Amino acid sequence: MVGYFFRRIYLSFATKVFDVPSKLLAFLLFLLLLAIPATRPSSYILLILIISYIYAIFAASWDLLVGRAGLVSLGHALFFGIAAYTSAILSKFYGLPIWATIPLAMLFCALVAVLLGFPSLRVKGPYLTLVTMAFPLILHTSLFAFDPPIGGEYGIAGPPRFFPREFLMGTEFLAEYYLVLLVLFVSAIILYKIANSKTGIVFVSILDDESASKACGINVTKYKLLAFVISATFAGLAGGVYAHSFGALGSVSPGGVLGLTTSFYPVIMTIFGGIGTIYGPIVGAFTLWTLMEFFQFANELRVLIYVSIIVVFILKWPEGIAKFVVKKLDELTEKRELEEREKKK
Amino acid sequence: MPLLEVETLTKRFGGLTAIDNVSFHVDEGDVLGLIGPNGAGKTTLFKLITGFLKSDSGTVRFKGEDITGLAPHKIVNKGIARTFQVVRPFRHLPAIANVLVACASPRASKKLEWLKSPERKALDMLELVGLSEMMLEPAENLAHGDLKRLEMARALATEPDLLLLDEPFSGLNPIETDFLTKSIQRLHLDGYTMVIVEHKLQALMKLVRKVIVLHYGEKIAEGSPKEISQNKKVIEVYMGRGV
Repeated sequence: MVGYFFRRIYLSFATKVFDVPSKLLAFLLFLLLLAIPATRPSSYILLILIISYIYAIFAASWDLLVGRAGLVSLGHALFFGIAAYTSAILSKFYGLPIWATIPLAMLFCALVAVLLGFPSLRVKGPYLTLVTMAFPLILHTSLFAFDPPIGGEYGIAGPPRFFPREFLMGTEFLAEYYLVLLVLFVSAIILYKIANSKTGIVFVSILDDESASKACGINVTKYKLLAFVISATFAGLAGGVYAHSFGALGSVSPGGVLGLTTSFYPVIMTIFGGIGTIYGPIVGAFTLWTLMEFFQFANELRVLIYVSIIVVFILKWPEGIAKFVVKKLDELTEKRELEEREKKK
Repeated sequence: MPLLEVETLTKRFGGLTAIDNVSFHVDEGDVLGLIGPNGAGKTTLFKLITGFLKSDSGTVRFKGEDITGLAPHKIVNKGIARTFQVVRPFRHLPAIANVLVACASPRASKKLEWLKSPERKALDMLELVGLSEMMLEPAENLAHGDLKRLEMARALATEPDLLLLDEPFSGLNPIETDFLTKSIQRLHLDGYTMVIVEHKLQALMKLVRKVIVLHYGEKIAEGSPKEISQNKKVIEVYMGRGV
């Protein structure tokens, strides 16, 4: 019985994953990420990887909004920050368990997205970008008006962590590493499925030509709002996970979760990896975050080297590295198939 | 009761009256031609009917229901589909996905036959216009003539009762024109009601039973193709006044 079950899984994998080179590659990369802890990395490296996964979720959610629906937002940190704060407040001051606070934070993000989406999605193009940019900055500043322990520059100190210390038994971050990896894996699959569903196709139609989309009987406003809400929900997931992993080590602060840099990270990661693909931003987040740490030895020159590398990569592969690799793989398979067909003849 | 009734429709752009008191009606199963020199207001009239522009006065009634000023997607879901004069494909999407977008509209989903997938329907639509071989080709790689047909497939996928074609023959070579003429004739036999804006009078006159002539936003003539071609005012507008 169990054997049959595994055989079924294997067979569906064989046709759906192993036969498609790009999917096989993604699967191998996932196995690689699973195996990383086996090399006994330091807690520091594990922590870096955890953050890169959190930002991967965040960037992928941005990609659904921008790469698919074409709504360029430069204020995605709003949802990241709101979720981080909501989850931290609910768990620290109201004693709710983390498995409840993160979904609540996501729900709250969706609600905020609806409320802000209605007025702001009326404007288009660069105007929308400017409007979205303002929201996190407004919240960032308003937080300073409140007193600690919620308001202020330092923010909320040490929200609870995912696992109590006794549970970890010396293997700090290992359990968190796998938890965050699982969250990334699941949300990546969901986002990818949405992006390639019928709804995702409608999103792209809005990006390509709004009027033509209307002429197809599509309620453009409704779909834009839907993209906004889905994207906000997953950004909220990233923010919530951040609060209880990285944020729990220090604090959930306005500068850390609502700053301009937080809004710009997903932009850079997505464009670096390949916009509109969902897997691109994940590759981008992982590469860029580890790259940044790799240049630690260069001290002050680190950022300069890092930025130059990004610029060179984007100039060389403007479509994004992940998209480039997948495209090449697809071309190779096509060629191989053609050759096989020729041989048969 | 006529399918579409347009009554005293007026649209002004500042001091310019683009559509001036135009009234006409389209009966079910009819094919109406709409002609006129450049800038006569033909496309504006289409935009007013389909809700892309708001009229200043007058009413548009569809199946007896007042649809003046409704949002474009709502009008499509009432059963009026349009194509664009300049092709507007979804460039990033393959041809079949272009049609799938139209299949995702509420009206098309509701009218989808039992046990039929939207993908199957999209493919049927592509077949209808002769594009099924190109189904996986991204729209940006398609030739102009194919894009024109893709527009038709997309409009048909919304299950329209009234089809508004804005210069369907523009930019087509004679073979493509011939093919499209046959497609439109077949649609007419299938019972589609159509309004066609066109410059190529020769192609148009073969298709329509009634023609309306617009000039500077005003309706100057209405009648059968034969009547129109002998109408003095129309000849004057097209050829200029005799010496």
